[in-house]
Amino acid sequence: MRTRNLLAAIGKTVAVAAMLFWSLFPIAFIVMSSLKPGQDIFAVPPRYVFEPTFEHYVSLWQQWGAFFDGLLNSTIITAGATVIAIAGSTFAGYVYSRNSSRMLDASVLFLIVVRLIPPIVVTLPLFPIVNVLGLNDTHAIMMVLYATFFVSLGTVLMRTFIDQIPRELDEAAEIDGAGRLTVLRRVIVPLAAPGILAVAVFVVVFAWNEYLFAFIFTSTRAKTAPLVISEMIGSIDGVDWGILFAASTVQLAPVLLFVVFMNRYLVAGLTAGATKG
Amino acid sequence: MNDRNIIALSRRGFLGTALGGIAALATQPSWAASKTLNVLSHKVHQTVLGADGGDLLADWKASNDADVSWTTFDSNPLQDRLFREASLGSTDYSVGYMIDNRPTSEIAALFEPLDDYLASDPIEDFQDIAPGLVDGMTVDGKLIGIPVRHATQGLFYNEELLQEAGIDAPPTTLEELVEQARKLTFTSSAGTPVVGLVLASDLAVFPVMFARAFGGDFITGDFQLMPDKDAMVKGLTVLREMFEAGALPRSYATTRNDDQVTWLQQGRAAFTVLPFARNAQLNNPEQSKYPGKIKAVEFPISAELKGKMPMSSIVEAWAMVIPKNAADKDLAWSFIKEVSSKRATLGMALNGNGPVRVSTYAEPDLVAKNPLAEVEAAVLANARGAFPPFPEAARAQGIMLEEVQLAVLGRKPVAEAVDAIVERVTPLMPA
Repeated sequence: MRTRNLLAAIGKTVAVAAMLFWSLFPIAFIVMSSLKPGQDIFAVPPRYVFEPTFEHYVSLWQQWGAFFDGLLNSTIITAGATVIAIAGSTFAGYVYSRNSSRMLDASVLFLIVVRLIPPIVVTLPLFPIVNVLGLNDTHAIMMVLYATFFVSLGTVLMRTFIDQIPRELDEAAEIDGAGRLTVLRRVIVPLAAPGILAVAVFVVVFAWNEYLFAFIFTSTRAKTAPLVISEMIGSIDGVDWGILFAASTVQLAPVLLFVVFMNRYLVAGLTAGATKG
Repeated sequence: MNDRNIIALSRRGFLGTALGGIAALATQPSWAASKTLNVLSHKVHQTVLGADGGDLLADWKASNDADVSWTTFDSNPLQDRLFREASLGSTDYSVGYMIDNRPTSEIAALFEPLDDYLASDPIEDFQDIAPGLVDGMTVDGKLIGIPVRHATQGLFYNEELLQEAGIDAPPTTLEELVEQARKLTFTSSAGTPVVGLVLASDLAVFPVMFARAFGGDFITGDFQLMPDKDAMVKGLTVLREMFEAGALPRSYATTRNDDQVTWLQQGRAAFTVLPFARNAQLNNPEQSKYPGKIKAVEFPISAELKGKMPMSSIVEAWAMVIPKNAADKDLAWSFIKEVSSKRATLGMALNGNGPVRVSTYAEPDLVAKNPLAEVEAAVLANARGAFPPFPEAARAQGIMLEEVQLAVLGRKPVAEAVDAIVERVTPLMPA
């Protein structure tokens, strides 16, 4: 019995170590490479002990100003998309949770089906329309697109979360004279905050890293950081790997910190309703 | 519901902070310009024109009271965006940069024919621009783009590794290249395992170069598919034998263009085929372990053809085009004229651009700065594109590469692979 427990513990440890290595090695490789002298990045055999240098970060700053403009655009668009997606998902989730009809039930299925459509199918026909509307290369269109893409999933998530909040709380507030909006604002939103944060994490990660929509709908004013990074992998004049890894590290850091910080809400949001009878 | 999960949120606090933050971030300063020319290009096209004190367009901007706004993408996304913009009712972009293997008749129809502009407001000494590059941008008898940059393929070698293997001079025939590559598949004195030749397997350039070394081709300029099958068989057989001998990497099937650069910089390969313009990167002391030791020559022709015909290396060129739906075509032409001038061509060449003017290669400044100027000029004289543009070109290239990989990896006899290329690509050829 004791031997079996020991073997199980060793097995678990090895499995966790393998998972950690699988997940963290690419990130560690990128960060370490951004700090290595250029000659050593692809040295054979690889060098894991080296004198760190920030030369690639300096070069990134000097040669790729557009990357930092892109980061600013990414920040604006991600923040806007997140606010819109949260607002839309919360309102819709509340309606789905507190009301029931055949049409509403059918529309939930529609929400899920919409989410399954490959983005490329939507983007190319949208391009001329967005162009005619004069919205190409604006922060607004990117916010709306990213939010729209996630409102369906966010709505389903928020409905599940709001389902857990006892209806008696709504009724108590209504007896005290609160209208629907007040109930939503004063009762539902505070209690569903972990769900809102879970939706936020999804939208932030998606909007921060997204490439296809940004490629189709932006040029200069709203160009996001992933687009600039893709230019660094350009095929004409060769890749400066040190700069590329530095940019990848800068791009990765905020979203990684955000996800780590929000991790517990993400788990709470994802498991919402999991034990509901 | 757990108390821990209850967070006190005030509507005003939450929404106000979020919206206020977005609004503050979205408020960016704007700069007014009397005229702005929007250009769609790769970043390298912008970079070679210089900036600040070295801005090659400074005089043009001043005399036209105009500024240039660059939108840059990598090559394929750039072409995609350019064609999409040109397909709209109108576009803000007045100048785009196009690769010479893209303009089919359908695509060319989206861009302004430039013959009339050239006749009424000529480019300085237009005849000086390499005629082959001009031909590449002439579709259905109309000139639709003015060449601005070329990348001509050369054979790069690591001189230090050659010397270590007792080889005094780079190869002058394909057979010598094979022999040297085999000899250079060894472990160097630095302890690095070296492979003779590294090539990307996802680019048509390389098998086509090997076929041309025997006088063959994939698709000729007049759309003949493999006019000399034996030459392609010979070329692919050489690649197959090199792979078998270990003179091509075991990872050939997954080797990409960037691997060629890093393998040569790290001393993991002795030879590779890349555009001459990569010379600076390959010898960059911040990236390369062999700065100053990586040199280049013309890709060698086979012994049987040496002295009988010139080697036709592969060149890829970029040209400036004006979308038919552009707003300010006159300003666009004025820009193109300026960028095509002798002065700007030399300036761009000194900044690393492949000059399209023959005379630029004789400029003392360029000769002093670029040690490969002479050999590049000689190679350019006989170079031509990998294959001409046609609607199914991408699929044809994909099929060819698939069969070449099977042949090189030994999964299909070379002759069978060549037959398969002919059989599968024939239906894709233009009528």
